[in-house]
Amino acid sequence: MIDGILIGLATAFTLQNIAFVLMGCLVGTFIGMLPGLGPMSAIALMIPIAASLDPSAGIILMAAVYYGAIFGGSTSSILINAPGVASTVATSFDGYPMAKSGKAGKALAIAAYSSFCGGVIGAILLLIAAPYLASVSLSFQSTDYFALMVLGLSAVAAFAGKGEVLKALLMTVVGLMLSTVGTDQTVGVPRFTLGMLDLVDGISFLLLVMATFALSEALMAIIKKVDESKRDEERKAAAELGSMAISKEEVKEMLPVVPRTSVLGFIIGVLPGAGATIASFLAYGTEQRLAGSEKGKEFGKGSVRGLAAPESANNAAATGSFVPLLTLGIPGSGTTAIMLGALIGYGIQPGPRLYIDQPDVFWSVIISMWLGNIVLLILNLPLIPYIARVLAIPARFLLPLILFFSLIGVYFVSFNTFDIQLMVLFGLAATILRLLNFPMAPMILGFILGGMMEENLRRALLINNDSWSFLWERPLTFTILLIAALCLFVPMLSGFWQKRKLAKAGHVSPD
Amino acid sequence: MTLSRDRIGGVLLLLFCGIYALKIGDIRLLPFQANQAFTPRTIPEVLAVLGVGLSLLVVIFPSDNENLSLRGLNWPLGLAFLVLMSAYGFTVRPLGFLLATSLFLMIGFAMLGERSPAKLLLVAVPLVVAFWVLMNYGLSVFIEPLPAFLRG
Repeated sequence: MIDGILIGLATAFTLQNIAFVLMGCLVGTFIGMLPGLGPMSAIALMIPIAASLDPSAGIILMAAVYYGAIFGGSTSSILINAPGVASTVATSFDGYPMAKSGKAGKALAIAAYSSFCGGVIGAILLLIAAPYLASVSLSFQSTDYFALMVLGLSAVAAFAGKGEVLKALLMTVVGLMLSTVGTDQTVGVPRFTLGMLDLVDGISFLLLVMATFALSEALMAIIKKVDESKRDEERKAAAELGSMAISKEEVKEMLPVVPRTSVLGFIIGVLPGAGATIASFLAYGTEQRLAGSEKGKEFGKGSVRGLAAPESANNAAATGSFVPLLTLGIPGSGTTAIMLGALIGYGIQPGPRLYIDQPDVFWSVIISMWLGNIVLLILNLPLIPYIARVLAIPARFLLPLILFFSLIGVYFVSFNTFDIQLMVLFGLAATILRLLNFPMAPMILGFILGGMMEENLRRALLINNDSWSFLWERPLTFTILLIAALCLFVPMLSGFWQKRKLAKAGHVSPD
Repeated sequence: MTLSRDRIGGVLLLLFCGIYALKIGDIRLLPFQANQAFTPRTIPEVLAVLGVGLSLLVVIFPSDNENLSLRGLNWPLGLAFLVLMSAYGFTVRPLGFLLATSLFLMIGFAMLGERSPAKLLLVAVPLVVAFWVLMNYGLSVFIEPLPAFLRG
């Protein structure tokens, strides 16, 4: 492990990579702060640039953008109550009331320190957990991988919002369907190309991500008319931040909260499909309960604990979501799914072999997380008053620019104008589905995992002489599939039972 | 039975899954694959069944009964932007990057309410030129800057 850390340090601490961490954090904060644009869009917008770099530098840049975007999201949650991402919604519960009472600078500082601690604790846990899990997963066969991918996809259902299970599953299937477009990997037969040469290579993952996130988010902002009076408020909030100093009492309050919510966040982040949003809400809820009746009442009115808890948890969860990605090659969240796509673009197959074959990539990602957190704290925090001015850019200039960067990002990779037309089509479809309240992240997860799942299943069948018996004969595969089935059916059944219970109660009460 | 957002989405995706299912027949199978357990059609067939089944379930058991409201949404503007993006795709090669992109941005800014021609020009043109210089000299990504008739 020491060797690995040294390799990571040597790779991450080159002048070029430090510059990428600095740039990534800054650009990420900038993009994350724009209402509507989250880490997924931020990373997607960076892929064309990362593609021209070597793998370590590219991944370091994307990891830095990821952290920066989460930090930027917290900033817009606190300053203008407009969380750029779902994972910073809980931050706005106490951050915004604090900002409204003239303590915006303090709220930002508390968020930054908590995020920093969450990220660092998460990175330490990742340092311990990842190599161990990677060595265990070396014994995995293609059957187990297939089962793991099924688990990754079914976990989408377990963590989908209330009543959203069916829609999340349907969108996952749509993603899987889109992944089958193009030439079949083993036999070379074209599938669903509609006779078009441009589709023979399949749909580009970057194109799909850009169209469903950056493009459709900008389109949503365009059709939902911008309220300019609200934007005046935003400009005012960005201009008056107040002091960033934190008192001793506030540090005392944060001290017990940060470590425990970081560990909680990390564990939630490791679970496939869970991610930072659930971690932040869970941390907020837990801390509210632990705070006791007196302090608990302060939650929602500008409580230090209420702000520190979701901030440390969401950053630790973001780190935790790298565990399944780096060790099993399975993304734990939509964001890590995008990173997985980028890694595959480099010709790198994340999984247990990554730790052995490309230790520089593996370790430099972990080391760059620390570096990224330090950069966010010492560089971005003092720069916040200046970065916050991005909120003052009028929407009429900002939105066409986002559209342009999305289109050109895809065009600069393929130099095929067909991709622009396809993006417009997907952008339209994604906007309609968003208006209809259908989730997009499960689709990306399905799209990324689809190809790998098919390949592993085919290999497993080949090894087992075309027999499907491996599904129940190999204990590990069977256990993982069983967990997947539980993930899938427990939320469905619990929803069904709840409905039945309610119906029964409704039926009984009139009597 | 109301036409809620879930139901509309379910019907649209049912249509998509139906077309997907129909297109499975177009996947050619090689002669030796006829009796294999796994062919290029296997996964698409499973997905088609799952997709059709799930979209039917969404239509029958919608999770929210909220109706789709287009009130307050400026959807013609959204459609206009889609047309603008598509037009950009068609013009970026013949007009060259600098002209096509500057036009795209200026029309975009104007569509969102910017009326001053000076501002349109001063924001779009320097930005496009700077971006082209950064891509060309900074990241060595070359893109034809000039219109077809001005190229040597």
